[in-house]
Amino acid sequence: MSWAVILALGTVITAGIYLALSRDLFRCLIGLALLGNGINLMLFTSGRLNSLSPPIIPAGDTVLGATANPLAQALVLTAIVISFAMLCFSLILAIRIVQENRSDDTIALREAEPHSNDPLKPIIEDEP
Amino acid sequence: MDNPEQNQTSKKGPDSTLFHLAIPTLLFSCLVWWLFYQPLPWSFQIAWVPSLNIGFSVFVDGLSAQFLLMISGIGCLVFLYGTGYLAGHKKANHVFLLLLLFMLAMIGAVVSDNLIVLFVFWELTSVLSFLLVGFNHEEENNRKSAQQAMLITGSGGLCLLLGCILLGQIAGTYSIQLLIARAPLFINDPRLFWALGFVFIGAFTKSAQFPFHFWLPNAMAAPTPVSAYLHSATMVKLGIYLLARLDPAFSDLFFWEVSLITVGIFTAVIAAIQTIYERDLKRILAWSTIATLGTLVMLVGMPGEGAALATAALFFAHALYKAPLFFVAGNLDHGAGTRQIDCLTGMRRYMPWTATAAFFAAISMAGLPLTFGFVAKDIINLAKSQANLLQLVSYAAFFVNVVSVAVAAIAAIHIFWGQDTIPRKAQPHEANLRMLFPPLVLAATGLLFGLRPALIDPLLGLAAQSMAPGLDPNKVDLSYDAIPVIEATFGTLALGLFTYLRWDWLHNKFNRLQAIQKRGPESWYNAVLETLPLVAVRSTRVFQNGMLPRYLLTLIATVAALLATLLAASGLNWQWPEMESLPFPVLGASMVIAAGALATFRVSDHLILLLVGGMVGYGSALLFLFTGAPDLALTQFVVETIFVVVVAAVLVKLRSFRNETAKVPPEKRFRPLHFLVAASFGSVFVILCLLVSALPFDPALTDFYGARSLLDANGRNVVNIILVDFRALDTLGEISVLGFGLLAAYPLLKQIREKRR
Amino acid sequence: MTSRAHMAEIFMRGLYPLLLIASVVILFRGHNAPGGGFIGGLMAVAASASYALVFNATNALNRLPCAPVRLAGIGILLALLSGVPAISQGLPYLTHPWWTINLFQVELAASTVMLFDLGVYLAVWGTIGGSCLLLIHSIEGEA
Repeated sequence: MSWAVILALGTVITAGIYLALSRDLFRCLIGLALLGNGINLMLFTSGRLNSLSPPIIPAGDTVLGATANPLAQALVLTAIVISFAMLCFSLILAIRIVQENRSDDTIALREAEPHSNDPLKPIIEDEP
Repeated sequence: MDNPEQNQTSKKGPDSTLFHLAIPTLLFSCLVWWLFYQPLPWSFQIAWVPSLNIGFSVFVDGLSAQFLLMISGIGCLVFLYGTGYLAGHKKANHVFLLLLLFMLAMIGAVVSDNLIVLFVFWELTSVLSFLLVGFNHEEENNRKSAQQAMLITGSGGLCLLLGCILLGQIAGTYSIQLLIARAPLFINDPRLFWALGFVFIGAFTKSAQFPFHFWLPNAMAAPTPVSAYLHSATMVKLGIYLLARLDPAFSDLFFWEVSLITVGIFTAVIAAIQTIYERDLKRILAWSTIATLGTLVMLVGMPGEGAALATAALFFAHALYKAPLFFVAGNLDHGAGTRQIDCLTGMRRYMPWTATAAFFAAISMAGLPLTFGFVAKDIINLAKSQANLLQLVSYAAFFVNVVSVAVAAIAAIHIFWGQDTIPRKAQPHEANLRMLFPPLVLAATGLLFGLRPALIDPLLGLAAQSMAPGLDPNKVDLSYDAIPVIEATFGTLALGLFTYLRWDWLHNKFNRLQAIQKRGPESWYNAVLETLPLVAVRSTRVFQNGMLPRYLLTLIATVAALLATLLAASGLNWQWPEMESLPFPVLGASMVIAAGALATFRVSDHLILLLVGGMVGYGSALLFLFTGAPDLALTQFVVETIFVVVVAAVLVKLRSFRNETAKVPPEKRFRPLHFLVAASFGSVFVILCLLVSALPFDPALTDFYGARSLLDANGRNVVNIILVDFRALDTLGEISVLGFGLLAAYPLLKQIREKRR
Repeated sequence: MTSRAHMAEIFMRGLYPLLLIASVVILFRGHNAPGGGFIGGLMAVAASASYALVFNATNALNRLPCAPVRLAGIGILLALLSGVPAISQGLPYLTHPWWTINLFQVELAASTVMLFDLGVYLAVWGTIGGSCLLLIHSIEGEA
């Protein structure tokens, strides 16, 4: 069953990158969300999908039986929360950037970046 | 010189003379005393980087001893000369410090047995040479010359490092002595060609061999004591020293012999022609130094014990006659204010002692009998007759000798004899004692060894033995009686004098060669130096084009290519996971995920895009639910809901995400290049995941958590126990990161709010 | 104000505490069943977010126990301190010892791990809930 999941996560990563390369800042944001989702799925599948029962020790037992991999789940759980927090921050940052630049065209966002006809070295003006 | 501040320093002169001389003199006397009692070779070991098998192993044999004597002995005289030459100069102390450091670096280089350590000292001498050539850095020309010397010898040094590492890999040792001992084992290794090639580049740049020779005449911008020391007597010989050191290991190699002889003789001839082309005495001497260096390289390349002895003799002879000639040039510069040979005639009257020194040095250089130069030339001719050289090489060497005789005649006759007819501002004056003593001593030493070659027999024998181990140093006898070579010497002398007499005529003839010289290696160097900034400008604007999506594209394409390369090179056996039976819910969830992802390509409206993106998240939540991860399913579900709700609220509140003033049309056009890069990135990840899934799973860690969860941490939900107990510190770190995220967002939120008011 | 919006507000007023109680239940049952600090915290965020949608972000911020940054700070501090008792018992930092407390004749098992989980809950609520609410708050303009 890993084939189906892996192909799906490949689609998600591809779509995420494609959106992130867009000129539209909001699409970049959704691309980031998809990319995080795809990587989480990747982490999850690398823990193998061998069993469908949750990793909870049944009452009466003291040792976990053959269940899904708890380690991968613990890692993915924190990854989901962290990537969500990062997404929130990116959203706030994006809104702020659009507010400042009056544009959401990623090619127009070059406050710290040169234009192609800018000189390489800053022109040093003589001190008065 | 009439600056009062400078006069003040010159008053302190005599005190600092002793001070500057103390260390070199001490070194020299200790060395002479030590060499007298210490049987050679002598070795000593200090571990330095034991993990890399780099030790500071000292190995002193005849060759090292010869260099040690030249470095410290000429060093003393250079220091003495410098105190006179630089008297009153405000940065004199600076020069002396650098010279002292240089001396120590040279000593380190010639006593080191480890190739890497040798390289370190080698580069140190390059750096110090840069500082000394650029000593007078207010002049643009000096800066250029210093930069040229640094770039050429420095990049050559890097090649040398590469060559040394390759040699070390091939031989399995960085010790030169071990390398020589093991040479027969790896002499047929095909990698040796590259290793030696890189070593050659290093040695040729250092010793100013064609096509790297042009930095040396330009380095004459340095003060004269520096030129005499670095660029004639010691540093430029370091490259040849290394070749001579490695000679016993590789002298049987055809490649070794042919390249050294070809490059050596070619350099010598080119330099001899260039000599005639110059009018500045110092540059004439520089070119003739290059000619001698070329001859030395050729001698190292020549097989046989005679060639080894000739190399050792020429090392010595050259140091004994070229250094005093440089001193003479310095004295002329000081006393007459010029180094142009057209402006210097009849100087004998004003500078009798300088004239004497020049005369004795010059007859040694010309190879007149009773001088050490004659002895050296004698041995060289003997060596050439022993080695079966091409006739062409002999002719070339003959031509080089002729020119060197002519140079000697210029230095001794043209400048000091005849009438002084040139009008001058001030009458030339003799140099002071400190500037006269060094050239006189060196010229006299040359004469002494010429009259009594037996005095130097043992040292030269030992030095030659380092290059040709079969040679018995006790049987070396430098007394000359070979009549036929004397005849050849007289032939050279006659032709040399003829060249001297027709110097101006030849000079004008060779002037026509200027066109060729303009297309020589120096112009290549300049072209490279001019092209580099242009390339830098162009490439900077190509890569730093200011467009953020392009940066991202470059980055992602690079990462994808790197990952693909690593995957291909990893040597994994490409095993795919088996196609198991698929539970329907899992298949369904996967299809929801893929469908959501595919839909994003076609959607341009922001709100719909958000919902379609949310589909991927909800699909993942379903997938987690059906594959035994209820915790993840719950988390993903809540997260996705919050995200969609909050972003939708933001979109609704802002009416549109984009600012009202900026209207970028929503992007509907399909971008094939972006899709290609994205798809290859995705494919690399798919392949990676599939390969990982096919690998056998190592359950050690998972089993540990499963087994200890209830017993140690009293909990049944193993996922949560891992988070809050086993890996609690990680979780603590994570919530701290969340906290920092909020702190970072806080000022942004405040700005957004203030701006909207 | 339409009656529909009024209905929603009344409904929300009742739902909010219920959602919070549910999130705390999920937080504490996480030790032995699906749940835990992260999920509980996110549930609490969901409660705050829906409150903000029905009323507005300012009201939702007011319904938080304290200011978001302080909430997150308390959470992180709680998690930090929950590891300290272990040191006094000679165990490595963040080892969670268990005690049995006899409270009103009921045997209760307690551990510092609960404090830790609570810390995670508060930190998630404070940071993620805080940034979402503050974002909506800042683009609402005057409120």
